[in-house]
Amino acid sequence: MAFSSPVPAAERLPVTVLTGYLGAGKTTLLNRILTHEHGLKVAVIVNEFGEIGIDNQLVVDTDEEIFEMNNGCICCTVRGDLIRIIGNLMKRRDRFDHLVIETTGLADPAPVIQTFFVDEDLRDELRLDAVVTLVDLKHVELHWDTEEVQEQLAFADVLVLNKADLVSDAERAAIERRVRAINPMARLLTSCNADVPMQELLGVQAFELDRALGLDPGFLVDEHAHEHDDAVGSVALVEERPMDMEKLGSWISELVSSRGPDLFRMKGIIQLAGKDERYVLQSVHMLVDGDFDRPWKAGERRRSEFVIIGRDLDAEALRTSFLACVA
Amino acid sequence: MAQATLVSERLCGDLEQPISALAWSLDGEFLAITSAGGELLMIDFRAGCEELLRGDRDSSLDVVGFSDDGQFLMAAGQGGELLLWELGGTGVRPLAMDPLPLGGGWIDAAAWQPGGSLLAVAAGRELQLWDGASREWSEPPLQLPGTIQALSWSADGVQLAASCNGEVVLWQPCLSSAADLPLRHAIASAGLALAFSGPGHHLACGMLDRSLLVWPQGCHGQPWQFSGFPSKVRQLAWSDQPGRLAPLLASAAGEAVILWTQVKQGSKAWQPEPLLWHEKRVQALAFAPGSTLLASASSDGSVALWDGKGQMLQPLEGQGCGFNTLAWRPDGLHLAAGDAQGRWWLWPVVVPARARQRASAGSGFG
Repeated sequence: MAFSSPVPAAERLPVTVLTGYLGAGKTTLLNRILTHEHGLKVAVIVNEFGEIGIDNQLVVDTDEEIFEMNNGCICCTVRGDLIRIIGNLMKRRDRFDHLVIETTGLADPAPVIQTFFVDEDLRDELRLDAVVTLVDLKHVELHWDTEEVQEQLAFADVLVLNKADLVSDAERAAIERRVRAINPMARLLTSCNADVPMQELLGVQAFELDRALGLDPGFLVDEHAHEHDDAVGSVALVEERPMDMEKLGSWISELVSSRGPDLFRMKGIIQLAGKDERYVLQSVHMLVDGDFDRPWKAGERRRSEFVIIGRDLDAEALRTSFLACVA
Repeated sequence: MAQATLVSERLCGDLEQPISALAWSLDGEFLAITSAGGELLMIDFRAGCEELLRGDRDSSLDVVGFSDDGQFLMAAGQGGELLLWELGGTGVRPLAMDPLPLGGGWIDAAAWQPGGSLLAVAAGRELQLWDGASREWSEPPLQLPGTIQALSWSADGVQLAASCNGEVVLWQPCLSSAADLPLRHAIASAGLALAFSGPGHHLACGMLDRSLLVWPQGCHGQPWQFSGFPSKVRQLAWSDQPGRLAPLLASAAGEAVILWTQVKQGSKAWQPEPLLWHEKRVQALAFAPGSTLLASASSDGSVALWDGKGQMLQPLEGQGCGFNTLAWRPDGLHLAAGDAQGRWWLWPVVVPARARQRASAGSGFG
């Protein structure tokens, strides 16, 4: 299933999905977004008003409601409540420039993300800007084994390591390594009191292929320590020889159809045989999007880099099947 | 006692924010208009005046309606509360009643019972009934397994249908016997639009999964299922004129309007006639009361009028921005519409003889 909308990205409203386990600081961050002088009019959809600026008419609450679009396939689950509420909100499209959606601390981020690619209206009217996950440095290890924490880390484009003032540098570095093992491609920010520069959060364009975050060659250069026993992890694949487009295409189709529910995010830059342009691709579960983006630059190291974030990944088997795509 | 001709040429006016809903009183003397900013304007044609019952507060109103007896005006939306006004007739200023909070989040579906005093309101997963006779909520509300997406009363006011993801429920709220449990039909997706036909009591349900369900007369048995629509089926309308087997049904999915005629019983009973004209999403559909004349309003900035055979009669152009909604005056001779820039429009419409099946249609309320 393809990602993209026929409507140019610039005409669609950017959406940031904010996730994070209970107590990670989402409400603090939302209040910053609402009060910060960033020149953007932000509409916010929250799960409950709580301590969010309730007087702001662009803060709307909603109850999470999952719709299974296609026989319960995990990749086709969407948030029905968001389809309805955003549909209503979009009548006032000219009143805001950015939409932020807060998920509950216990939510799987996948249905929210998929809503913006699967629903025909939202796909044409909005574009997912980034998934931002807040991590509570002080307490995250207590909940590390919960499925929600691992999924929230895995789906992130931006990871905000919050409450840095409550831990030592050594503790922070240790958590950073564990986080990196699960998600090597997200941008890492460190904060106290969820105080992060707004330009690092809003307008990131992590889902735009041509601007895809972290997709500069070499983003996998520092080999990560893969010594961990988390069920959710990542596999980074690097290959110097050009790849065959047809082989690669069938490999990815086969991979997402057999393992889709376990594959959270994939991103890659591919050097294709006989092509002067980079091929970039990304996926969320079974939704895959790929395209040529720009010519390789003179002096740029031409190679393929591919990262897979998922559950129960067999690194050796993935490496072998990836290498079989060499032209 | 409606004026036979309300306006002889196009009339328009402006609210601050995009028009979200329109409703006429049954006698055609009042028109209520809401906006996505929460404005509510009521036009009193007999007195020749208008009153802004609520100003722009940047909190949307999405549904509006007059009770059939002309006693109440209701509106609801983003605030999650039911707003009611008591009407005193032409020239009398409506009296705002205390808002009734419902706690179910954004309200975008509510409808008065035809010929009765009940107001059905979709409040989250609860279908609530407010009784204009006792001025109280009628207990208990009907629970649905998901958030209510649409509701519709049958023309006789006996049956109330509501849909959510996975279910359409048929309820006869005035029959209080415990034996009359609501009838629940499982559906494969979310029902986004519901409409009862006047004659015959067919029920149509437009679905998120790009299909349309139509239950036969009396809503008994298995529904017909039509699939292959280009997008969600979000608008439905039935003509109030009886057909040979069923009245005409119109559906809108994306920019495509389809006119459905039942040609026989059993399977493959319905014949589709695509009405191609709109270039963007069709936001509203309605047959003129007393005829088979169909109006469709689109985001492409036009309102189209079609005869009962699917022939396009006339496009009504606005100011270039998309139309959000439309509503026929009960006389079938005036059409109101609202656009995305906050302008409301009112056109006098001459119904061609071939679409007008009842000679006295135009003076039905005169």
